[in-house]
Amino acid sequence: MAASLVIARKDLRQRLRDRSALTIGLIAPVAIAALMSLAFRGADTFHYTLGVVDADHGPVAAGLLQALQQPSLRHVVTVRIIPTEADAARQVKGKEVAAALVIPAGFSNAASGTAQTSLRTLSSVNNTIAASVTESIASSFVAQINADRLSVATAIAAGAPSSAVPDLTAAASKLQLPEQLTQRPLGAHAVKAISYMAPAMAIFFLFFTISFTARSFFVDRTQGMIERMRAAPIRPLEILLGKALSVFVFGVASLTAIAVITSAVFGADWGSPLAAGTVCLAMVIAVVCLTALVIGLARTQRQAEGIASAVIFVLALLGGNFIFISVAPSIMRRIALFTPNGWALRAFTDLSTTGGGMGAVVVPVLAILGFSSVVGAGAVLLARRAVTS
Amino acid sequence: MTAFAIAKASLLRVARDRTALFFLIALPIFVIVIIGATVRGFSTFSVGVVDLGSGRSGSDLVAAMRHSGDFKLREYGSVASATKAVARAEVSAALILPAGMDATLRSGRTADLGILAEQTNSTQQAASSAVHSVVASQASRIQAALFASEHQAGSYDQNLARATSLQTRMALVQVSTVQVDSRSNTLPEGFSYSAPTMLVLFVFINTLAGAANIVETRRLGMYERMSAAPVRARDIVAGETLSLLTFSLLQAALIVAVGAIGFGVSWGDPLAAVVLIAVWALVAAGVGMLAGTLFRTPEQASVLGPTLGILLGMLGGCMWPLSVVNSAVRSIGHATPHAWAVDAWTALIARGANLGGIATDLAALAGFAAVLMVAATVRLRRQLT
Repeated sequence: MAASLVIARKDLRQRLRDRSALTIGLIAPVAIAALMSLAFRGADTFHYTLGVVDADHGPVAAGLLQALQQPSLRHVVTVRIIPTEADAARQVKGKEVAAALVIPAGFSNAASGTAQTSLRTLSSVNNTIAASVTESIASSFVAQINADRLSVATAIAAGAPSSAVPDLTAAASKLQLPEQLTQRPLGAHAVKAISYMAPAMAIFFLFFTISFTARSFFVDRTQGMIERMRAAPIRPLEILLGKALSVFVFGVASLTAIAVITSAVFGADWGSPLAAGTVCLAMVIAVVCLTALVIGLARTQRQAEGIASAVIFVLALLGGNFIFISVAPSIMRRIALFTPNGWALRAFTDLSTTGGGMGAVVVPVLAILGFSSVVGAGAVLLARRAVTS
Repeated sequence: MTAFAIAKASLLRVARDRTALFFLIALPIFVIVIIGATVRGFSTFSVGVVDLGSGRSGSDLVAAMRHSGDFKLREYGSVASATKAVARAEVSAALILPAGMDATLRSGRTADLGILAEQTNSTQQAASSAVHSVVASQASRIQAALFASEHQAGSYDQNLARATSLQTRMALVQVSTVQVDSRSNTLPEGFSYSAPTMLVLFVFINTLAGAANIVETRRLGMYERMSAAPVRARDIVAGETLSLLTFSLLQAALIVAVGAIGFGVSWGDPLAAVVLIAVWALVAAGVGMLAGTLFRTPEQASVLGPTLGILLGMLGGCMWPLSVVNSAVRSIGHATPHAWAVDAWTALIARGANLGGIATDLAALAGFAAVLMVAATVRLRRQLT
């Protein structure tokens, strides 16, 4: 055990003397997470300015304007009144407004009768969501008008005499749509870009430890260091344990530093420290096991670097370290759960949205440890060969 | 001639390196598949639905939502799983269809449908309004069916069928959409997005990582030994540049071919695409050469190279369209050559531009290439002599 500690201390010292360790373990992940949070500041919420051309000035138009400014839409849309349709089209093209809604002259009159009339949404190819939201709001608004017209028409189609139309119309105007939507709050925060990207980048760069350590192991072996160690009364497993310990300490230090800095400076939400810390520890254990496996699999330094690179990028890509995995198709979200980082990111997403302490991370931590034990078992089988060959 | 020999030696060295081949061939294709499958969420919402046993009107509503085209629909088995999905942003809102909804409606009472969304979350509110409009359209039919059954003959089901058929034919207050422009500022979604952006990203990253070979050659004193023979410094520079350039072009050609054949990506005007790839390969070769003179150890090149490449790629719009980030970051992004290259691909692929249409982008890229090449040549020659 003492020998393992000595090896670990030496490896760590060597690692820290190399400035790229600081870059990989701290600067790069913090910089990239900060960049992403800056890029998506204000972009991870949806809000747009809607131009409204009111050529009608009637009561129905007033009702529509009121509907657009109802409290539930205050965070979604800001209304700007524009005098003419041509102006509105120009402003949509020039991106001054994201979309525009045109209430044509005579709309109130037409809407109260039975004639066909329409509201027009002016949209830009570059902002299809704003157009579709505007269309939805307007459609919901006219839904009651249309429902009343449809009610009368259906009654007529079912056999009511045309002479009954005035009575039917009067009766229909008192109706209310039979399906109402009630908002149910989630009790959850929205995922902030920084709260996802900070752990994603921390884990991605933590993976580089696999490459560094495997490389340093083979450099040691080429230089005959391992043989010299074995000449001393040290068992092969102690040598590997020493290497693993240095990876563990470096990984924990790196993740902790990144979590503290991104929380304090960029407002990343890592969730409860105990739960987040447990996920981090599990993740570092997974990295230790992966490192051991790469060392076990490779025969030369070159091979070790190659296998490590493949492992790093495949895991990072599948697990969702580069992409926001939640928006990926469900097949990819399922594949992500075959990777330890995919589980860790799911845990961090849940911690920052629905909160919860240890209870929220039990399954992810068990999954990561399960992955680690499979990889670790493979590594132990191969370990003897790596140290003795 | 000497330059060609040097280029050939460098090329062979990479071709024998299996790690380099992984980054050169397997990784880009793998990433194109993943990013291509993911970058689909920028123009539509995803909405969840939980059916707690609503009956026929519920399944009709789900079918109507599926056909609305305003959002992608995902079904969940329980309110708890839908709540988690909204919290994780897998869907922007979720509609809950209550048990016995059909019976409630038939009896003339109002059905209360729940929607999982936070009042203060604008994305969730926007998605809710899209759901609301589909629900309102169905509610119109049900209101009409109930009204007709009450005031005239016919069963609820007969009148619902009448209302459904009338709704598509009769004069109603419509909401129509007029598109005022056709100049798309973003690449199409899916593989047409991921293939060109990953071409830009990987060609750049590979030459940056490839700088490791130049650093190693430099450290081993190979260039000094070459200089001892009648080999001029500029031949060495030309040879190394040629090797990086060849690799960049080969990799770009591979991505173009895989994109076109495997994923049906249309790369736009062929002449313009070829010129763009050639200029981009020059930029990449330039940065690889410069990195080769700046990095001190091969490890620095192979670790910092990809990191820097990913960082610049993110800034330059390779990971997500620059139109979704705020304007300050968009401007900063254009300090990277990536943003110009992605702009040019957008013009070619999304707007069908020709060579003339991407002249500004090409000029900017040529400027980047020239600056990088000159800087690299000056530094390498200084290190050689």
